[in-house]
Formats: sequence, C-alpha cells, structure tokens
Amino acid sequence: MKFLSPRQLPLTIGLLVAAIFVFFPLISAGEFSLREPLKQTHGFDNYVWFFTAPDFGKYLGISFGLAVLSALILLVILVPTVIWLNLGGARFRGFVEFISLLPLVIPVVALAIGAQTALPDFAQTNEVILAFMFAVLAMPYAYRTLDTGLRSIPLKTIVEAARGLGASWFHTIVRVVIPVVRSTVTSALFMTLALSLGEFTLTSLLHWDTFTTWVTTMSQSNILGAISLSVFSLVAVFVLLLAISIFIRPTSNTVAQEEN
Amino acid sequence: MTQTEARLNRKGVPAWGTLTGRWAAIAVALLPLLVFMCVFFFAPLLDVFVSSFQDNNGAFSLLNYADVFKEPILTAMRTSLGLAFCSALVSAVPGAILAFLIESRGSERLRQIIASISGVLANTGGVPLAFMFVAALGLEGSATGFLKLIGIDIYGAGFSLYTFWGLVVVYAYFQIPLMVIVFSPAIHGLRREWNEAAKTLGANGAQFWRYIGVPLLFPSFLSAFLLLFASAFSAYATARAMTNGTIALVPLMIGNLLDGNVIFDEVNLAKALAVAMVVVTLVAMIPYLIIQRRAERWQR
Amino acid sequence: MNLKRVVAIAAASAVALSATVSISTAAQAASVNYCKVTNLKTAGGMDALVKAAKKEGALNVITLPRDWANYGEAMDLFSKAFGIKITDDNPDGSSAYEIQTIKTAPAAKQPDVVDIGVSALNGVIGAGQDKLFANYKVANFAAIPSKWKDANGAWYGDYNGIIGIAYDASVSPAPTKIADLTNPAYKGLVALTGDPTAGQEPFMSVYAAALANGGSLDNIQPGLDFFKKLKASGNFSATKATPENYIAGAYKISLTWNFNAPGNIAGAKAAGKNLKFVIPSDAVVAGTPYIQAINAKAPHCAAARLWEEFLYSENKGKYTADLTAKDLKLSGSKLFNTIMGGQNIWVSGGAAPILQADMTAKKTIISGPDGFNVPKGAKVYQPSPDQQVTGKTLVAAQWPTL
Repeated sequence: MKFLSPRQLPLTIGLLVAAIFVFFPLISAGEFSLREPLKQTHGFDNYVWFFTAPDFGKYLGISFGLAVLSALILLVILVPTVIWLNLGGARFRGFVEFISLLPLVIPVVALAIGAQTALPDFAQTNEVILAFMFAVLAMPYAYRTLDTGLRSIPLKTIVEAARGLGASWFHTIVRVVIPVVRSTVTSALFMTLALSLGEFTLTSLLHWDTFTTWVTTMSQSNILGAISLSVFSLVAVFVLLLAISIFIRPTSNTVAQEEN
Repeated sequence: MTQTEARLNRKGVPAWGTLTGRWAAIAVALLPLLVFMCVFFFAPLLDVFVSSFQDNNGAFSLLNYADVFKEPILTAMRTSLGLAFCSALVSAVPGAILAFLIESRGSERLRQIIASISGVLANTGGVPLAFMFVAALGLEGSATGFLKLIGIDIYGAGFSLYTFWGLVVVYAYFQIPLMVIVFSPAIHGLRREWNEAAKTLGANGAQFWRYIGVPLLFPSFLSAFLLLFASAFSAYATARAMTNGTIALVPLMIGNLLDGNVIFDEVNLAKALAVAMVVVTLVAMIPYLIIQRRAERWQR
Repeated sequence: MNLKRVVAIAAASAVALSATVSISTAAQAASVNYCKVTNLKTAGGMDALVKAAKKEGALNVITLPRDWANYGEAMDLFSKAFGIKITDDNPDGSSAYEIQTIKTAPAAKQPDVVDIGVSALNGVIGAGQDKLFANYKVANFAAIPSKWKDANGAWYGDYNGIIGIAYDASVSPAPTKIADLTNPAYKGLVALTGDPTAGQEPFMSVYAAALANGGSLDNIQPGLDFFKKLKASGNFSATKATPENYIAGAYKISLTWNFNAPGNIAGAKAAGKNLKFVIPSDAVVAGTPYIQAINAKAPHCAAARLWEEFLYSENKGKYTADLTAKDLKLSGSKLFNTIMGGQNIWVSGGAAPILQADMTAKKTIISGPDGFNVPKGAKVYQPSPDQQVTGKTLVAAQWPTL
C-alpha cells in the first residue's frame, strides 16, 4: 500500500500523530457535549437545544456573512499586491511582509480598546466594520497563504499571456489568476470562517452581536449546551472544509490540463 | 523579445511613462493595503500609543513606563518572554518536520487540505480550546484517565495543565499549524534538482543535509521561529480562559487593567504595557525580516 | 329659552369642558420628560410611569448574568409583567466594560442602567468628572443606608454577598471552613473563580483567607500567605473555577459568592453533578454592595426608572411563573404591587439586599435558600472601599509571583 512504503511511511506516521493531537481534545470535548445526565445516556439533546433555539440561524448567518465579507476584503486588498510583488515589485516584499505581520504584534484586547476610541460611532454599530477588523486579524496568515499559492504557479507566464491577448488588469486578476489559485482562496475563506466563529474579545468589547456573543448569552443557562456550542463551532468548519476539499480539484492538475 | 516582454521592461515594471509611471504602479499596488491598515490598525494603535504617555488626568507623563520596569510587571514580562520562547521552540520543531514530510512526500491534494486545516487550527483559541484541553488533559481528562490505565499518572508526577508547561502544550494546538503554514514555502523552495546535483557529485543523504539542506533551511526556520514567538507572546484569550493569574503574563495584566472588576484607575498603564509588547515584538521581528530577505534568494 | 336650547348649550359646554380637560391632561402627560424625572412624584405616579415605560417597550441592561443573584428571574418577571423587552449586553462583562460603554459607545448601544462595583464607581464620580448618571430617588430611597447612596440620587447600593465554599458532593471530608482547604486529601482540587487582580469574587476570597488566618480587614497579607502555602502544597490549582471546568472535573472546591451558588448548583444538577455550598465558619466576609445607577444617556428613560423602582420594591408577591393573564390586565400600580419586588428576588438568589434591615423590621422579607445565609451570631466582616485599596495594591504586587 502506497502510504506504508518506506518513502511514505514517515509521512503517514507524522500525520497520524498530528491527527491524534488535533482530534483527541476535540473528541473529549465532544463526549461531554453528548452527555444527557437526566436520561443517564448519551445523545444529541444538547445539539437539538441550540439548533432549535430562536436566532440560531440568524447569528450563524451573521458570522458566516462576516467571514465571507472578510475573506473578500482580504482578497481585494492582498491579491493585487501579492501579484505585483511576484511580478516586479520584489523590492517591497520585505516591507509588505512586515506590514502583514503587524497584527500579531499587539494583544487583541489592546487593539479593541484603541478601536473603541478611534473608530467613529457608526462604525461601532454597523457589523460590516467587523469584517474589516477580522481581515486585519487574519492578515498574517492570509498574506502567507496567498503568497505561497501565487508563487507555486507560473504567474508571469499566465499574466503575460492574458495581457498579451488584450485582457485588462481587472480581467486578468479576477478571471485568470484567481481561478488558478482557487484552493488558496478557499483556504483563506476557511481561515476567516474559523476566526469569525471564534473571535470574542474584539466582538464583545465593541458591542457587536455575532454568533460568538450569542453563544455566550445562551451558555449562561446550560453548561452542557455551552460545551456543545463550542464543539459545534470547531467541527462545523472542519466538516465544511472536508466537504469542499472533496469537490475542489487540486490546482496543479488544472494548470497542467490548461497547458495541454 | 516578445511584445509583452518589451512592455515589461528591465525591472519588470510596466513601461508606461517614466518615473511617475513607476510610482503610480507602486501606489496602486500598495495603496489599498496601506489605507486599510491605517484605518483599522494604525488608528487604534495610535490611540493606545498616545494615551500611554498620559496620566489619569490627561497630562503628559512617563510614569506608566516607569512602572513597566518595576515588579510585578517585570516578572510578567519575563514569564511572557519565556512562554513565547518555549512555545515557539516546542512547536517549531514538530511543525518543521511535519511541513517537510507533507511538502516533500505529500500529494498536491494533501498539501492543499493541510493548508486549509492549518489555517483553521491556527485560529482556534480562547474558551473552546481551553475546554477541549481540560476535557482531555485536565485532572479528570480522558487522556489523563487513559494514561492512568496504562500506568502513567501525569498529575501524580507533578504535571498540571494550568501551569507554564501546560500552556505550552495548549499553545502548540495553534502554533504547530502556524509553523506548517509559515515553513512550507521554504521546503517548497528546496529544489529537488539540488538534491540530485549533490548526489551526482557524490554526496550522500547526510552530507546533502549538512552542507546544503540545513544551511538553506535554517534561516527560514529561524524566521518562522520568530513568528511563532510573536504569536505566543501576544496570545490572550486562551491564557485568560485557562488560568487565574498565578502565571504572570503581560497580555493578562493588560486585560485585568482594561476589562476588570478590581483595578479601574490604571488604564493608561495597560496601554503602556501594550506599547511595550509591541516594541518587544518588533525587536524580535527585525531579525526575522533580515533573515527572510537573505533566505528569499534561494526560494525564487 | 326653550328646553332644546338649554340641552344644546349644556351639551356643548360639557363637550368643551371635557375637551379642555383631556387636552390639558394630554398636555400634562406629554410634557413629562422622563429623562429629567427625579422621583416617582415628578413622574406622575406609578400608573403614569408604568404607562410611559410600556410605551417605550424596551430596556437595555448590561453585564447581568442570569444566575447572578437570580437576575434571570428579575429580568423575566419585569419583562412579562410590563411587556418590556430586555436586552443584556455582554452578560459576563466587567464593571470596567460598563463604564467604558457609557463613555464611548454609540447612542444605540448605551445601557439604561448599570450595576457596578464600588471601586469602579470611585473612579467616575468626583470633582471635575463628567456626570455619567441621572439623579433619581426611588420610592424607598430614604431606607437605603446613607453610606451607600449619593445624596442627590445619582447612585445607590443594591445588594451584597458573602464568600462561601462551593464543593462537589464527592469530596470527602466535606469542608466547613477555610482552614480545611489545606487538607492533603484536596490535592489539586481547590480553585478560585479568576484572578484576584481582576475579579471581586476571588479578591474577596483572599480577604476571607486573611481573616481565617489571623489577618484583618486592614491586613490582607495572611490571605496571600495562605494561598502561597496552598499552591506550594499542590492543593491550589491554577485553573479557573468556571461551570464548564467544574463539569470537566478540573477542580472540585472553589470560593464563590453566596448569590452565585444557587445558580451554580442548579446548573451543575442539570449537567449531572452534585454541588454543595457552605459559609465557612472561620471567616464570614461580605463584599461591599454593588451600585445601581441610571445612565444619563439612557435611551429608555421611563423604563429605566421603572426598573429601579422594581429593584428597590420590598413587595412580597408573585414570580414569573405565577403571573396570570388577569394580573397583566391590572393597572400600573396594582400590577407593580402584585409582583415580587426586586429586593426579595435578590434574597431568593442568595444575596443580602440593601434594604434588608428595613424589610426585616416590616416583615416583608422572604427567606433565602437554605444554608445560604449567615450562620446566626457569626461576625460579618465587610472591607470598606478604602481598606480594599490597600488590599488591592498588595494583591496586585504579590499574586503574579505567588
């Protein structure tokens, strides 16, 4: 079997160990979420409780929408920059990388307090602004992923070909480059989704209402329910990720096919 | 020279116009990013920076910074730095190994799935992460129980999830994926051709690694390490969810002073602490960027 | 004059008279600006206040956890009785968050009322500070001890609690006093609900430890030494005593407010665990009362004032579950007197209401949950805000290096 061959064995073992580390805590928490103490059994009661709670769909939708918007913002801001860096602006690479890493430098709570004073009133009530803040928080990872993705394709060739055939810059970026790095784009989207469902400090300190703050309000009355909600936040993203990964074809196969 | 190549002249910059054309291109490429960061990052940061130099009445004062160098903040700084260093070290090595295995031996599809999963895991934290580990490695955790069954009593031996090293273990959950994301490009850049060239020149595996592989990868490894350091240093939500303050950490102190129920008159001290953290992280990042620049050359 | 004319004139005058009367009452009612109302009288009486509050239809509260002194019941009862929707901003938030919100949040997110700690209050009142709170004296204002109220009615104490030991039923032997916590059988089982530098509950727990070990309200050091000893022996776990961590078995014994205990016990039971509570026999430490205040920028002024009247009502009446449709049709003041007053709801949550002395004298106080109140004859220690300042400094300096 291929994954037991001497060459692949270290990878298989490495992935197995990593999987245990990643999934064991999740499963442990999951076991708690499935407890039904009053019936002395295990079941999905806690999940039914929050699925049928009013506003569940509403707040999940809000966080999901914010994640999509946030990913879009990141793409709009970073893709042209990264393309330019890879085509000819290599001198500025260090500078851009530095900027993209800055959000890692400050603890979220300090950023939130600064934002309370710095952002105007309308910004603090309109949830759309939250998408921009999420984009800031996701920037270090997003920049990295996009840069890696764009470097692994023959970017210069593709851009030259598109431009040579008369495409505008907009057309080139949106209709040619981005589809080629589809998987990188989805990666960035999942990242913002995980961030959006888990980010609490910034969201609550700035009085926004998202899935995360709804979870805290709901969690007050029901401990096992609270646990199942946090398990759900993590598992939902994973399940979505796996589902989409099955349907997205790997990039290089696509490029190879296009080149043929 | 093709028509397109003529259009993209020597420095790879579109040949439309002269110097202004060049600057225009740079502006268009960088402006969205800079404007975005100015509004949503630098503006809040500026407020924090300015108030850190004020006392409670708004007058200019350096007292906050004087306090930063006194106990107990000094201990918190030391512990935070120590935690950042240990977490970075403990996570960088497995992360690098994992990244290497995936990049060099994994299929394209695997690499992309791992990239997505790493992105998701790198953003976990706070109460959900803390509870997951309490459920697994807490006093009555499932892993703790499992280990007891095979004869290992970790709590009896002095381990506790709510100590310095416990935090290092929990931080690894998002640090290792971060390492995988950050280090994979470096492995990707290690061309197979060099391995083959070395082999044809008579080097064996160990020699390849010693003279080519490690020296090429080490700068990237170091810069990834520094990134993990910065990430662990400023981590807040997870530590707050797990501990009760007996592990002195600077982000927790900032949280206590800004969003607490006991001390209310030291908001500007908290901001000075935040600025101090920024300074420390910047100091750590500058070597990162220098090293990255040099490692870059081999990755093109 | 013939009869028809007389009747016509009489009818016309009657119409004119009633029109004038209704116009003037309408004018009177419309002219009351509830944001400037300072007591029930200027509000036009309870009926008028209830009417105005119902018209507003909403109330913004902030950082009120449902199982904190049974605030959940208070909010549900107020909501159901008066048809007012309550929005609770960040239930687990801190007093600092409340103050920051009043100072910086946009109008739509302003809370109507706040419930903050005394230490938070001291930072925002005083000369030269912006006036954050609106003056309002509730009906029972005179009965509030003068130490815990502002002379003009800007703020007033509401309830306080006592630190006790919450422990899992499986712990053996069951602890009854602070000194018991050093028992080697409790290795790794004792936890605090947070950082004493950040939370009143753990901060007061350190005072309790101090009093149990020869300290005093002016000397918190023995409390710090006690926890240091507890940490060294391995009994003190650095975990945070939250309901989730309790269910996961991360700790079994913690020090909490008595008014948090009923909610915690009920929550634990629903999750399959058996939690017990006891006030330690070697140290009875009461916290300073929390403070109620109406936000000067309150978006729903009448509802805010009705809420405060409700919270300071000493009535013994119906809970949410007992309210009938008939009750809801009663007039404002009658309905108000039918429902359980906020002071008693706090008692049911295990807290000591500020009007306790008055209510005990008038025999309007209900009994609290069993075992939650002060053992008879025990001396209750209550650190004053000034004493807390000294205590805070010591704790902030020593806790991180414990």
